[in-house]
Amino acid sequence: MSTSLSGPEPATQAPGREPVRSGLPRTSRDARNHAPITATGLIVKVVLLGLVAGIAIWAAFPLVEAGMWIGLAILAVTTAGLFYLYLTRRHIPAKYLVPGTLFLIAFQVFPVLYTASTAFTNFGDGHRGSKDDAIVAIQTSSVKQVPGSTEYALSIATKGDPTTGPLVFLVTDPKTGEVSAGDAGGLRKLDAAEVTVSPTGKVTAANGYTILNFGQASGRSPEITNLVVPTPGGALRSNGLSRAYEGKAVRAYDAGCDCVKDSETGKTWTADEATGSFVAADGERLAQGWKVNVGVQNFSRVLTDPDISGPFFGTLVWNFAFAIGSTGLTFLLGMAIALALHSPRMKGTNLYRVLLILPYAMPSFAMLLVWRDMFNSDFGLVNSLFGLHVDWFGEAWSARSAVLLVQLWLGYPYMFLVATGALQAIPRELTEATSVDGASPWQSFKSVTLPLLLVALSPLLIASFAYNFNNINAIWLTTEGGPFAPDNPTNGATDLLITYTYRLAFGAQGAEFGMAATVSIFIFAIVATVSAISFSRTRRQEDVYS
Amino acid sequence: MTTYADAPVANRNATGKARSRWFAQVGWRHLVGVLAVAFSVFPILFVLSAALNPLGTLSSTELLPTGASVENFTNLFSRTAFVHWFLNSLLLAGVASFVSIFLSALAAYAFSRMRFVGRRVGLLTLLLIQMFPQFLAIVAIFLIFTTVTDLWPAIGFNTPWGLFLLYMGGALGANTWLMKGFFDTLPKELDESATMDGATHAQVFFRIMLPLVAPILAVTGLLAFIGSINEFIIANVFLTNTESKTLAVGMFGLVAGERNNNFGMFAAGTLLTAIPTVLVFQLLQRYIVSGLTAGAVKG
Amino acid sequence: MRIRTAGVVAVLGLALAASGCGSSDSDKPAAQESAKPAGATGKLVIWADDKRTAALKPFAEQFGKDNGVTVEVQAVSKDLQTNFVTASQQGSGPDVVVGAHDWIGNLVQNGAIDPVQLAAEQKSGFNETAIKAVTFNGQVYGVPYATENVALIRNTALAPEAPKTIEDLVAAGKKLKADKKASEILCLQSGQNGDAYHVYPLYTSGGGYLFGTTANGDYDPKDLGVGKPESIAAFQKIAKLGEKGEGALKRSITGENSIATFTSKKCAFLVSGPWAIADAKKANISYDISPVPGFAGGKEAQPFVGVQAFYVAAKGKNKALAQEFVTNYVTKPELAVALYQAEPRPPALTAAFDQVKGTDPDLAKFSEAGKNGQVLPAIPAMAAIWDPFGKAEAAIIGGADPAKTITAAGKTIAGQIK
Repeated sequence: MSTSLSGPEPATQAPGREPVRSGLPRTSRDARNHAPITATGLIVKVVLLGLVAGIAIWAAFPLVEAGMWIGLAILAVTTAGLFYLYLTRRHIPAKYLVPGTLFLIAFQVFPVLYTASTAFTNFGDGHRGSKDDAIVAIQTSSVKQVPGSTEYALSIATKGDPTTGPLVFLVTDPKTGEVSAGDAGGLRKLDAAEVTVSPTGKVTAANGYTILNFGQASGRSPEITNLVVPTPGGALRSNGLSRAYEGKAVRAYDAGCDCVKDSETGKTWTADEATGSFVAADGERLAQGWKVNVGVQNFSRVLTDPDISGPFFGTLVWNFAFAIGSTGLTFLLGMAIALALHSPRMKGTNLYRVLLILPYAMPSFAMLLVWRDMFNSDFGLVNSLFGLHVDWFGEAWSARSAVLLVQLWLGYPYMFLVATGALQAIPRELTEATSVDGASPWQSFKSVTLPLLLVALSPLLIASFAYNFNNINAIWLTTEGGPFAPDNPTNGATDLLITYTYRLAFGAQGAEFGMAATVSIFIFAIVATVSAISFSRTRRQEDVYS
Repeated sequence: MTTYADAPVANRNATGKARSRWFAQVGWRHLVGVLAVAFSVFPILFVLSAALNPLGTLSSTELLPTGASVENFTNLFSRTAFVHWFLNSLLLAGVASFVSIFLSALAAYAFSRMRFVGRRVGLLTLLLIQMFPQFLAIVAIFLIFTTVTDLWPAIGFNTPWGLFLLYMGGALGANTWLMKGFFDTLPKELDESATMDGATHAQVFFRIMLPLVAPILAVTGLLAFIGSINEFIIANVFLTNTESKTLAVGMFGLVAGERNNNFGMFAAGTLLTAIPTVLVFQLLQRYIVSGLTAGAVKG
Repeated sequence: MRIRTAGVVAVLGLALAASGCGSSDSDKPAAQESAKPAGATGKLVIWADDKRTAALKPFAEQFGKDNGVTVEVQAVSKDLQTNFVTASQQGSGPDVVVGAHDWIGNLVQNGAIDPVQLAAEQKSGFNETAIKAVTFNGQVYGVPYATENVALIRNTALAPEAPKTIEDLVAAGKKLKADKKASEILCLQSGQNGDAYHVYPLYTSGGGYLFGTTANGDYDPKDLGVGKPESIAAFQKIAKLGEKGEGALKRSITGENSIATFTSKKCAFLVSGPWAIADAKKANISYDISPVPGFAGGKEAQPFVGVQAFYVAAKGKNKALAQEFVTNYVTKPELAVALYQAEPRPPALTAAFDQVKGTDPDLAKFSEAGKNGQVLPAIPAMAAIWDPFGKAEAAIIGGADPAKTITAAGKTIAGQIK
């Protein structure tokens, strides 16, 4: 154990360190004690790395095809990194951490960072896309049929290959039966002798043209949508694949004045880059806006808007009570039952366990709805069973207790299972030793079982606290934050910060993701601080056993 | 609860005394068990009575079924893609829980047994990331998977593999914390002596550590299985094809109608959903029960 | 160390083998890529909620078969509107979406849907209210297929006569309660946080309004009626029906239990829509449908009229086909009748309505009850109404002061409207 050839490895890494490779004189189960790489290990390594390489090559082709060189570079670096990591003898902790971390970065860290970055924007309904998107949306939604114009029957045709040839609209005037061919150059009439027209008015054959069927035409959908045939009154556009109409975009963007003009009313809306919308002189805004950076505006609104910051403290206190209560109660009940059932003389523990975990096996959103119904003041089971007349969700404290009770029911099976697993893992010799010493069951529980349970479970309790701190479903599916004071519909007695945020962000005229992200960052900062402090206390416990 | 040693001692002279002794040692445990089961099960009776009620409403003050009809169950199979949902969920939850437990155990081993720069920061980061509200991340998930679907349709939207990858993003969540806690309780001498014997770190992990934490692997496995079966927020945006849905998404659709719903069928489906969970629990039960002691003796 | 070298060689060999499989896999997408411009097939993707997905599927597939294209109908069970907007924005949305008409304002402000161009004779085939509902800023944005509104459904065994006013209804209900024939006067769902949709007829009968209208008949978000004296007067009347008054309106009657309470004969009157009828039939209740009555001497009770419609996604990959489907296929009565059979809501196409009304007398009664209804406002500002309005309703039913409560609600709503 003393000689280490892998020099760079810090000596503090003792337990997990790569074992010494120079032949130790000790007897080993392994015959090739001079080479700790076993055949099985090698084969597994070869197969897994081969898979990695295979997947990387598979993934590379579409990237090359799409010309996404940055993506390709990331792929190559990641793959090379994996190869290096598992072929070198160094960086042992990384060998264990990297597989999960890769997924974590791609599917959790990236979304979180992306979301956090929206806190500095006005991202939300009406401001989701770019300015160009908004301009396209404004123009297309202003296309109107020219009054009194004709509705044509339409066939899509081409003079060339049906899959690639330039497209032509063959349109039939329903009144005259005249057929015209139209493309970007305009409309020109076709000789009636050269075309065959079906009774519905659609051209089914024309000399020199190939008529596209629906399948062929829909494969070229974007081209059809973009083909505009200029006419004196406006332009002929397709409406689906069998009709065409003469339409005109009433509103158009003018890059010169950076504004949108309405050709019917003459009104103009000028772009306002600060709010991401087109605004008219009279203050009217066009509905379609775009996403812009607003700096710390969202943050200052959280701090200064009395509607947001006012109830913040009260909600925060209840939020802590809820998270601590949910975690603590479920843990106590789960552990108590686990202890009660943890005895070699107990018969039927299997059956008990199956029935006890049922609440956890049922979809929780369904059971939350069932519980909400059970707390109904007139029709609910709780009142009728106990002969009560409590308006459970109508009073602040009864609603809070009810919510905690529901959390207890939903969550204690989890704690029960975990505590059962933990109890099984405690060596019996330890507890037996204390009972031989004449300690009472309570003393031995307090001095041996509980500390060991807490070592195993305290990280979990912190995690559970963090989860419950943001447990939106528990509130949203039962009280929805209520009861509310009659004069304040924005903040209820059982509101958590997260439900409060949710209401603020999505209750307005369209969702405000940027605002929601901002409040989330505030909440995040609070929980993170609390968790970090309690986490630092686990260090002492951890060090006792490691 | 620690007096196992003298448990077999029986006092045959006084049966009354024996009975009270029985109660003191075992009987009260049954009492606690029965009370706990009653607390657990009675809301579920509600669901059962809704499942058996042909009108399938969620609301009644009666706990016991008012009518008995299997109509809701037969409708579930004839009118919905329930079988598809069921199989999708089993496949997804099975594979996802297995792989995520493996990834978690790897990380937990490193966090518990090795000392490296950034260890505690890493642990804390794992915890903090879980705290960001998921409903806000949906936009980013669309962003990622729109590109993925364009490039690699095999792992894009509406495929179980894409969803599987997403779930793996959460593999290092609470489970790593839970397992690290258990690794911490294992005596260090076990792996140290194995290392002295010339075992590699991989051998220590696979041959010594993993068998010893079998109970917690079983528990976290079950929790991960239940978690994936019930996961809804992400699966709902990810799976839109009727036949590629999971149970949670498909069944939510039964009650998601705007102003009317189908609670009877939903309740029936909910009960059926619990079956795989209970079976998995049965399967893992012996690992949960076998415990460390047996393993420690062997090791 | 030789064994390590061997390992490296083996890894490389396996990688080559695996990539061999890999590249044969990737041939497929590559082939598709080159096939796309070739336009062998077009694909139409439709998003709807679960019930409509089931009803649409056979017809959409038929459309695909007739025209040589693939049609996929997909269900989004929760938050269809939000997910549609988000997916559209990122470019992974569908070509067609099915939803309520009051989504239009939000879908338009996000540039998620395009106007549809209906020919004059197509437009005239629809019920006028339905076309009005899908018209936003002067443009038609969707093709409607069904309308819906609430009405008063009564158990004719308990209440043979349709009440003319709310006061008559309360008197009849109280008598039934005194005779122990029923335990509730009226089943009108509220819940702890209220239900603006169901209480709206009473609100209008009391004189309240949500938004004023502009000169051209559109709703005007600047003229908010909540918090105005009319709304206070309306809620004072509603308060008299509440828990501290007649006890006809109760917070314990929720969306989950109101229909069930009616079908279990615990109340004789139910305010609900066509979706409640299936349950009433199943429970063998003899029922009749009439308009929701108003207050004696008050204004007419106007329910909200909602319309279900098909929309063409602005960023769909196959817009031409989507327009074809929505404007030329959905406008045929056959599809409307099929959707009616999947869920009995009055079809918006007059031809389809006439076709089914012979076999279903309830349909005409519902549409009679909605004749004077108000089209649910589709302006984005409506999203700010629901929550505060509902909570004010619940608080007032529970006995809170109407003037104070509704003024606070009005203030909150005004603050949320941009």
